[in-house]
Amino acid sequence: MAEKSYRDAIRDAMIEEMDRDPNVLIMGEDIGVYEGTFRITAGMLKKYGPKRVVDTPIAEAGMIGTAVGMAMLGLRPIVEMMTMNFSIVAADQIINHAAKVRYFSGGQVDVPIVVRGPQGAGVQLSAQHSQTFESFYGHFPGMHVVAPATPADAKGMLKTAIRGKDPVLFLESAALYGMKGEVPDDPDFTVPFGKSRVAREGKDVTIVSYSRMLQLSLQVADKLWKDEGIECEVIDLRSIRPLDMDPVYASVAKTHRAVVVQEQWKLYGAGAEIAASITENMFDELDAPVARVTGEDVPMPYARNLELLATPHEPEILAGIRRVMYANG
Amino acid sequence: MPKAGDAMTEGKVVRWYKQPGDAVKKGEAIAEIETDKVNLDLEAEADGTLGAHAAKEGDMVPVGNVLARILAEGEKDEAPAPKEDAQQAAPEKEEAKADETQQRRATDKKDSIRHSTGEYGETVEHKGPRRDRTAPEPAAQSGSSESGDRRRSSPLARRMAKELGVNLEDVQGSGPGGRIVAADIKGAQGSERPAAKKPAPEGTAASQEMRAPAAAGVPTLETKIIPLTAMRRTIAKRLAESIGPIPTFYLTADYDVTNLMSLRQQLIEISSVKVSLNDFIIRAIALALRHHPSVNASWGDEAITQHGEVHIGVAVATPDGLITPVIRNADHKAVTDIATEVRALAEKAKNRRLKPDEYQNSTFTISNLGAWGIEEFTAIINPPNAAILAIGAAEARPVADANRQVVIRDRMKVTMSCDHRVVDGALGADFLKTLRQYIEQPLRLVV
Repeated sequence: MAEKSYRDAIRDAMIEEMDRDPNVLIMGEDIGVYEGTFRITAGMLKKYGPKRVVDTPIAEAGMIGTAVGMAMLGLRPIVEMMTMNFSIVAADQIINHAAKVRYFSGGQVDVPIVVRGPQGAGVQLSAQHSQTFESFYGHFPGMHVVAPATPADAKGMLKTAIRGKDPVLFLESAALYGMKGEVPDDPDFTVPFGKSRVAREGKDVTIVSYSRMLQLSLQVADKLWKDEGIECEVIDLRSIRPLDMDPVYASVAKTHRAVVVQEQWKLYGAGAEIAASITENMFDELDAPVARVTGEDVPMPYARNLELLATPHEPEILAGIRRVMYANG
Repeated sequence: MPKAGDAMTEGKVVRWYKQPGDAVKKGEAIAEIETDKVNLDLEAEADGTLGAHAAKEGDMVPVGNVLARILAEGEKDEAPAPKEDAQQAAPEKEEAKADETQQRRATDKKDSIRHSTGEYGETVEHKGPRRDRTAPEPAAQSGSSESGDRRRSSPLARRMAKELGVNLEDVQGSGPGGRIVAADIKGAQGSERPAAKKPAPEGTAASQEMRAPAAAGVPTLETKIIPLTAMRRTIAKRLAESIGPIPTFYLTADYDVTNLMSLRQQLIEISSVKVSLNDFIIRAIALALRHHPSVNASWGDEAITQHGEVHIGVAVATPDGLITPVIRNADHKAVTDIATEVRALAEKAKNRRLKPDEYQNSTFTISNLGAWGIEEFTAIINPPNAAILAIGAAEARPVADANRQVVIRDRMKVTMSCDHRVVDGALGADFLKTLRQYIEQPLRLVV
């Protein structure tokens, strides 16, 4: 085990997989000479050369379309989006090609591409660059959508993504890049998709989250335990598609109340799917309606004070918890 | 908002008779309320001064919600405003001071490297309560439902109540809008309350409410609860599977009403009350039901209730739809009294002024489309009645007499829809036979 940042965990995963498999390559805007807008690819051009670390033009549809072709012919391209917001330029390549080729080819052709990059608010990138895409991409069958919350998961899940034979939308949180955590050294350490984990055990209330909001939820859980003795059970979904709800159901059977925390907007967000699944499957266990803690229904403001107000923080999560516990304190 | 009738979930404030600050007396009308069936006057429950209106004229208000408060002398109006959203009441605590290095912009490459989760430490300034702008207005969800309407309860609370034998009716809900939650069930179970009440057998509560003092001299019938036998259960189950919740069958009879028409004509000549054929039929049915208490009955999951009183519902068409005002203890009433009462109730029904106790708890219902020239038809049973009688037009028709000669007689067809779980074919036929005696020999109605 070594303590690594989320950023370095992602970089390590790519380097280890590029060392392990010559078919793995990375392409993206400013990833080579400039070493990446968020410094994820620092030093990689020097190490692997321009054939495996490809600086592309500003043309996402072309990049991802190229990568789909590469993947169909046996390469394992990783495409870095400067932010995931730019991937919507290539949504047709992702949704209608990467996620459909195996189906249309009758299972003959796999598309093992990884589209990865940062998303979400918290770093003052304003309305066009702060959105999150888990419910958008999570809607479509034919690909995986994952959103790791820790350095270890970032590394283990990226390795699973690169080694797998499916298209993967790998959603990183820009605000988590600097976060540090223990990461296993084992070069074959991987984290499977579709396995939610109990990030913190508790008996009073279930909090369901992923990515950056998982970390915030854990902080709130810690504070509630210290200040009030309330034991929150925090579930980290890790992957949005496939979605593993079993640990959530087991937890709700114990606590009888659930709060879903997401940075996304409320309408049609991932939290809606989770809350609906809980209600469908655990109705008789619920002592309160499932609460959703979400971002404000506005384009993300640039101004720091407004950005903080538009995203969920401790008071919003606390309010959600108190709502399902009938404790309006 | 009072609950006027089992099916009522909300009512409309048509107009306020009293304004905030007006003095009101107990029993005085404060507002006019419109339900899906009738218009009612909301009466003051106490003397005092009317507080603020919690609903405007034209507002739909859920049953149990506050419409206004009546204030005692010196009492202040606690505005019946919706409860504050929990989110608004959340602590708006200032978070720890920010580390300056964590406020740099991520678009700057060098700073972005150092950017961390430190933003959680930054100060979040809340200038006012945060509102969920995608949620419905709180007013639509608020309100207490502690008065006798449907109790709100969480799914877990309901499950626990069932498992622990706690009657939800006995539990005070502590959640929003009076919702009963798991903690309330635990509290109810832990306290020294008497053991949860055994649910009353179906029908008894209702039949007790509807019991009115019987007219002197007429022997009262007895209300009987007849436990379901295995055979009765099987008949019910198999028939229900075949046709729906109420397995209905139909019996049609053709009555000679020549004598009845003649009797009616005589009565009209000597009475100030204009008695209709239908009024005679109501009395005839009421008397026939006394002979066949098993038709004057209701199905329940555990038992069939034979009602100790005969209350005839009379279907009345109004501009807003169908309603069935009830002639209580019709077997104890003279046909002229029935006539007067039917007229009065029909008038009220058309003006939507019927009170719930004037259209609920019938034990048998009739529907007469004779005035529309309908020869015969089938009516839908009005639960929990076991039967309904559909009455066609009385008209002169050629029929064969006892000597097989064609004669012209006044005839009337009736069709009884029967709940087969309660009334079997032969029983229904027996009832129609008794009814025939009353209708074809109408002196029986007056002696």
